[in-house]
Amino acid sequence: MDRRQFLKTVGGGSAVAGSTGLWFFGLQSGQDPASYTGWTNREGGFQTFDRKRWTVSKPTYEKVGPTSRPDARTGVIFARMGYLGRYDEEKGLDSFPTHVRQYYTEHPEDLELDTRIRQDIHKKRAEDSRKYRSEFILSRAWSSAMGAVGPRGVNGPPEEWDFPKGRGPATPYKMKDPRQTSRLIKKVAHQFGSTLVGIAKLNPDWVYKYPMGGRRGFKANEPIEVPEHWKYAIVVGVPMSWDPMYANPSYGTSNDAYSISRIVAYRLTAFIKNLGYAARPHTPGASYDLMVPPILVDAGLGQQGRHSIVITPELGCNFRPSIVTTNIPMEPDKPIDFGVDDFCKTCKICAKQCPSGAITTGGKETIRGYRRYALHASKCHNFWSSKLGNMGCRLCVAVCPYTRKSNWLHRGALNVLMHDPTGLSDVALAGMQEILYPGKDPQKYYMPSMGGENAAYRDPPWWLKTGDFIELPEDRGQ
Amino acid sequence: MSFFTSGAFWFIEGILAVLAMIGLKVWMEDRQVPMGLWKWILVAVWMLMAGFTIAFIGTSVGESEMAAARKGGIVFSVACAIAGAIVWRLLQIGRARLPSDSETAPPSTGGQESKETAGDGNEKV
Repeated sequence: MDRRQFLKTVGGGSAVAGSTGLWFFGLQSGQDPASYTGWTNREGGFQTFDRKRWTVSKPTYEKVGPTSRPDARTGVIFARMGYLGRYDEEKGLDSFPTHVRQYYTEHPEDLELDTRIRQDIHKKRAEDSRKYRSEFILSRAWSSAMGAVGPRGVNGPPEEWDFPKGRGPATPYKMKDPRQTSRLIKKVAHQFGSTLVGIAKLNPDWVYKYPMGGRRGFKANEPIEVPEHWKYAIVVGVPMSWDPMYANPSYGTSNDAYSISRIVAYRLTAFIKNLGYAARPHTPGASYDLMVPPILVDAGLGQQGRHSIVITPELGCNFRPSIVTTNIPMEPDKPIDFGVDDFCKTCKICAKQCPSGAITTGGKETIRGYRRYALHASKCHNFWSSKLGNMGCRLCVAVCPYTRKSNWLHRGALNVLMHDPTGLSDVALAGMQEILYPGKDPQKYYMPSMGGENAAYRDPPWWLKTGDFIELPEDRGQ
Repeated sequence: MSFFTSGAFWFIEGILAVLAMIGLKVWMEDRQVPMGLWKWILVAVWMLMAGFTIAFIGTSVGESEMAAARKGGIVFSVACAIAGAIVWRLLQIGRARLPSDSETAPPSTGGQESKETAGDGNEKV
């Protein structure tokens, strides 16, 4: 073939290839969820990760021995806080009911940490709040507004509340195919506002053995019988707003995601009940009857990281989920493994940045029969309670290398991480994260009376910089 | 979706890349540097590296991650410059010597070189 012929052939081939490319460009433009102006985020266009390639037969947490269900009365820090009002230093552990006394006997460090909140931290916070609170006026207003709208809540036991009772048909509609039902549930959950949706068969080990007090229709101190109709757990949820999230621990909030996550869960509950099936939402704001992270793992949405939060491929750990337990017949999703476990062994950025030291730099422990990283909830909660700005910390979410916005750079890094069999990229990318996206000295995240500077991981976005919009008092601290 | 994240933008980028390669080809022909497939691959790899560097800095600035833009920009730019120098050297392999090279210059006689002069008194070299 001479040169001229070659050029003609290549030119012709390029024309064909180019035309084919234009065809696919047009097809994609027509189907692109981004073109659904106003409903862009409700067309499921953000749950784009191809999970099929990474599915595994068993979830990535390891069961190593006899398992037991968690006692929410003592295992959940918010429930323990409810008992601390009774604490009398003279009576000591006798101030508490038996189960709480037993918990603090087994975890004496937690008693000291939990009582410190009222005795010390709240007082310091009140002082610093007077001086520095004005800095957070806009972020507090935004957080409060995000939490202003919400459903009424679950107020009955499962055998009554979960069933349609006049709202749906007399008997459940017969669903044709569990796989199609799964598709339907995921589609409507996205339409209701969920960014990610996953379905799991509910493992009874995740249901609280005792409820968090006498709430949600349960009697306090009476064990929960796992209802037969809690067959499946549907995970729904959304991320927190990205720019405020990076400005944690102070300027961010959980309410932006919590409020939407709650609304999605209640809409989905109503939808399922309208088909005649039972459904019960378990939503943030401590309105749960079960543990959420392992359900996300079972549902194939992600893997649990060192900080105990589930890391998803699309959102990193910036995902605030709700659960809907139901008996509508569905095909559950399979768990996935995309390399989080190996990365977390190397990275440890969350542990190094955690101001309270609640995240371990060591290895996994056996907790109720499962191997996982332990999180020291009392230490975490103490920092929560001390910092100014909105409730909560979320620093571990912000600093996690997986929690990056979705652009070519971070998607590319994630792909390198997932496809590298050698593990070298774990070290390289964790190192690059520390150098290129550094955090601050963890002590600086504290409020001034505790030796800090009210520091945030990143500056707040322009619309949360109070001083740019509101006249601040002259005698405020800096 | 903005223009710069659209398919149309990449379509135009592709055309520009091809035009740049054609320009390089002509320039190399003028310098009598033969360009084989392996050289084009090297050029393409370097263009990807340079493109990555520019895009990395832009993306980091866009994300307000100035530390990443500064540190990453310096590191990747230096790596790009070094790689560029190496690629340039490799591209010269097989280059024909130009008439201005010493091969065609008159040999030195050890004394002053005699210069022919044209009738108008100007030197002729």
